[in-house]
Amino acid sequence: MATILKNMPERKLSRAYSLERLERRAGLMFALPVIVGFLLFVLIPMICVFLLSLYKVDLMSNTFEFKRFEYYDKMLHDPDFWKSVRNTLYYMVIYVPLTLALGLGMALILNTKMRARGLVRTFFIIPYITTYVATLVVWNVFLHPTEGPVNSLLVSLGIANPPQYMVDTDWALPMLALIGAWKDVGYHCILFLAALQGVSKDYYEASSIDGAGRFQRFKHITFPLISPTSFFLLLITIIGGLQAFYQMALLTKGGPAFSTTTMTYHIYRSAFEYYNFSYASAVGMFLFLLTLVLIAINWFGQKKWVFYQ
Amino acid sequence: MLMSQNVRYTIRSVIFLLIGLVFITPLLWMVSTSLKFENQVFERPFVFIHWGQINWDNYRQILTETAFPAWLWNSVFVVLISVVLRLLLSALGGYAFGFLKFRYSDTIFFFFLMTMFIPYQLTLLPQFISFRFIGLLDTHWALIIPNIVDILSIFLMRQFFLSFPKELVHAAYMEGSGIFRSFIKVALPLARTPLLTLGLLSFFMIWDQYYQPLIFLHSKEMYTIPIGLQSFQTQFGKQYALQMALACLAIIPVLGVFLALQKQFIESIVSSGLKG
Repeated sequence: MATILKNMPERKLSRAYSLERLERRAGLMFALPVIVGFLLFVLIPMICVFLLSLYKVDLMSNTFEFKRFEYYDKMLHDPDFWKSVRNTLYYMVIYVPLTLALGLGMALILNTKMRARGLVRTFFIIPYITTYVATLVVWNVFLHPTEGPVNSLLVSLGIANPPQYMVDTDWALPMLALIGAWKDVGYHCILFLAALQGVSKDYYEASSIDGAGRFQRFKHITFPLISPTSFFLLLITIIGGLQAFYQMALLTKGGPAFSTTTMTYHIYRSAFEYYNFSYASAVGMFLFLLTLVLIAINWFGQKKWVFYQ
Repeated sequence: MLMSQNVRYTIRSVIFLLIGLVFITPLLWMVSTSLKFENQVFERPFVFIHWGQINWDNYRQILTETAFPAWLWNSVFVVLISVVLRLLLSALGGYAFGFLKFRYSDTIFFFFLMTMFIPYQLTLLPQFISFRFIGLLDTHWALIIPNIVDILSIFLMRQFFLSFPKELVHAAYMEGSGIFRSFIKVALPLARTPLLTLGLLSFFMIWDQYYQPLIFLHSKEMYTIPIGLQSFQTQFGKQYALQMALACLAIIPVLGVFLALQKQFIESIVSSGLKG
């Protein structure tokens, strides 16, 4: 440090310069807890998890044995793994568009002139803020195949064989996606509403002079103007959809017959039911890779439809 | 003309209100069922509330005969400590990365942001192994520690301090305060709003956590509310009214905080979401 100071021209050692130097040094001190925490809880675990996927781990004797890419090989030849990938993608295909569409629809409702808007908005947000596990306990009884209120209503309306929801392999995963959308949509609604309220009224006035209809107006004015928010929400929804776990853990345990075992549930079961951490790490690495690929596709795809003012 | 417009306006409002009510039907049903006797749960025809014979006993039973009070205490403990530590680190980190700056601070921060896409299910695996190794399993610290460093929170505080007026801090320097003292005396008080926002968002997020206690805890007396609810569901599978009362009690604390601070909460989602 001393030599650096000696080589500096005299005028650079002004008060402002030394203040900046002090601030920089303090900055490092201020950031230190965060950096250490980041190393301990993000970076090192990330390296560990990659190493974990290369070693056979015995938690009883704490021994490690190098296996190279054996677990990845096992994963790629495991039909259960491919089923979990398929289930995750199936979940996403329902959850992502449904959440975005519902969120936008609800925001459009709240953006009209109406009475009791605050109350309706509160109703829309409540599922998002309430304890998820508590609402899942409710859904579990609500959709009970024989006694639940939904099916008793359907039966009383004359439907002889109402859906069996969580115990039917065709219904279980779509229902979980529906519940996931119901839970998260309040967040989307709030953000869409904020975006809609940010659209200047001048645009609409100009378009009504041109004689554009309601749908035309939405397509050519509203949608492009809220597209940055839509894009952000799309990314959030993709990440959330890939990591969905609560519904599977609480309502179906991955069943019936593996039909709701998504990648996250597959990881959980491999690690904490079969104690195969190496295999679980390999699947986790694949999930991470899939997340990055989906984000990258959308990142480059945004040029086509996202409009920045 | 004016009249018919007014009528249409009212009809539309009623329809939207009904849509809102349909949306929360499961939760209305939860409230209704929690006040019933077990033999009334699936009764036909459905009655929302039996006025005059409301069964408060479900609530009494949960508050006095189950571990719910202990779970509530555990949840409050874990959430409070996590939020306080998270706010402290985020304020320090945000000030460092947004205001003070240091060599490579922007590069380091960009690297932080890149890791936000790592699925939590992945980092949890080595966390479990290391917590097991150092004997943190089945303690509340296993739930608290992973919550302390949160990249999104640091990001939000950094955003705030990026536009923080330099003159204010420099005036404090002139008065003889050091960098740390000016941070405490000038920067922190002015960061009250973003800190409240962040605290609120973190409260809701950490209150909801179920995966961590599922994996890190195994003694029932350590349980937080979400995992307690699940254990209750397996234990009292057929006692639906009791389950609904428990679900209600689990929701009341967050609902209370939400209704009291609704405006700030919505603003916090908007500001953190749009700028994130």
